[in-house]
Amino acid sequence: MRTAEHNRGLVWRAAAAEARVKSPGNRIRIPDRLIGGIIPLGVLLLWELLARAGLLPPNWLPAPTVIGQTLYQLAVAGDLWRHVGITLGRVALGFWFGAVAGTLVGGLTGYFPLARKLLDPTVQALRSVPSIAWVPLFLLWLGIQETSKITLIALGAFFPVYLNLSVAMRHVDPKLLEVGKLYRLGSFQMVRRVVLPAALPEYIVGLRSGLGLAWMFVVAAELLGASCGIGYLMVDGQMTGRAGIILASVLLFALLGRATDWMMSALGRRLLGPRAR
Amino acid sequence: MDDKGSRQSGMVDIQVVHKAFAGFQGRLLALKDVMLTIHPGEFVCIVGGSGCGKTTLLRIVAGLEADYDGAVFLDGKRITGTGLDRGVVFQEHRLLSWLTVRENVAFGLAGLATGKSGAEVRHYLNLVGLDQFEHEYPHQLSGGMSQRVAIARALVGRPRLLLLDEPFASLDALTRMRMQQEILRIWEAERTTVVLVTHDIEEAVYLADRVVVMSPQPGTIRTVLPVRLERPRDRTDGEFIRIRKSLHNEFFTPCSPAGLRKTR
Repeated sequence: MRTAEHNRGLVWRAAAAEARVKSPGNRIRIPDRLIGGIIPLGVLLLWELLARAGLLPPNWLPAPTVIGQTLYQLAVAGDLWRHVGITLGRVALGFWFGAVAGTLVGGLTGYFPLARKLLDPTVQALRSVPSIAWVPLFLLWLGIQETSKITLIALGAFFPVYLNLSVAMRHVDPKLLEVGKLYRLGSFQMVRRVVLPAALPEYIVGLRSGLGLAWMFVVAAELLGASCGIGYLMVDGQMTGRAGIILASVLLFALLGRATDWMMSALGRRLLGPRAR
Repeated sequence: MDDKGSRQSGMVDIQVVHKAFAGFQGRLLALKDVMLTIHPGEFVCIVGGSGCGKTTLLRIVAGLEADYDGAVFLDGKRITGTGLDRGVVFQEHRLLSWLTVRENVAFGLAGLATGKSGAEVRHYLNLVGLDQFEHEYPHQLSGGMSQRVAIARALVGRPRLLLLDEPFASLDALTRMRMQQEILRIWEAERTTVVLVTHDIEEAVYLADRVVVMSPQPGTIRTVLPVRLERPRDRTDGEFIRIRKSLHNEFFTPCSPAGLRKTR
């Protein structure tokens, strides 16, 4: 399958290359990345120019360079690192608990039909509650301190990890399980040598979306009541009417989310080895 | 490589009285009164159209089907469940995509002590001609190469009986013919008893010491035809064609009066 797709890709690329050579007007080849960058760069440039011309109210939409300065000042003052460190810590801790729980429950329900029949309906029912809706309850039970934030983030990370692992383990090709049976693998060996490796690609997808949700919920948690963290910075910016800080925080969330996702996918590629491509 | 003497065993005694599947509308009778004795070192091909129960029969011998009336004996011992005394190759290669060629072959030693596995794996990779590809992954292999790896995996545990379920059906015609020669060469080197299921009459005549023809509804053995031609066999030889034709006729003439009544 893969080779066929690969070949199709090659054929397609070859055809595209040929078309490029043949089409007379369009000889210069612009890399895709540059094409994709045209609009954001254009917007940034326009934004900067309009801001400098005084056409944008600075307390609503400060110029990109001003946002950059805001970030720089925060970094120099040392506040930035504290907020970033705290937010990262929350995401890491919440994601860790959520992913571990998702892996345990997902593995259990994926392998034992009885566990699935017992647990899956309950988990699915809980999943249909938008996780943010639990916030008042968490606050009531766990207070406004770290525990309720970590719980919310863990809950967000739990479901995709659980779901992907459980489904992937249940859907391992029965033909491969039969191969394991032929060579008389015991249950443990069957899981270790056939089921888990077969489920690994989808499990990694689950981890990645779990991490994405962890970021989403850290924003929610920090907006709803925090005295530090990037989300708090945003609230602070809103309270004091400084759009620059809000936009700088948005940028930080984007950068950090992207960076951790990249790390997770690099880890995934490592684990998948030859199957990564 | 060592105990050639005991490798000469591999006698199979099949006595399947009744095998049914819970089907769409009630129970579907897959096999009925299938009695067959296969001699040590013999190459037997089972041919039949789809739905004649040939694959089911092979799966019973492999130990993958448990729910049937009757018994199958390997060297006098009743088969219960799967075992490393039998190697199985399916129509699909069923290799594990996350393991290299070498690791896939070693998988065939799963339940065994793995002390000298390195040499065994190497031996069988050599036998199927893939020693150059031991570090490749399945997706890098062609269909024929994948099937060779599957054959090496089935043989590495040194089974007394090799079971092949339409192993070449998904290969192109040229590769299939080459693989047929290969399997004969491997069989001659290993002297394992081989049972190969196919729907290809020519393949059966080319390979088998005896061809077992099965007919459907219920799956029964219709006839057993010995092929007494020297190997390598010539597919264009007169006698070869005569045998092929007589097998062909078996397929296209109605057999039992019961079958006649049903179709007419």
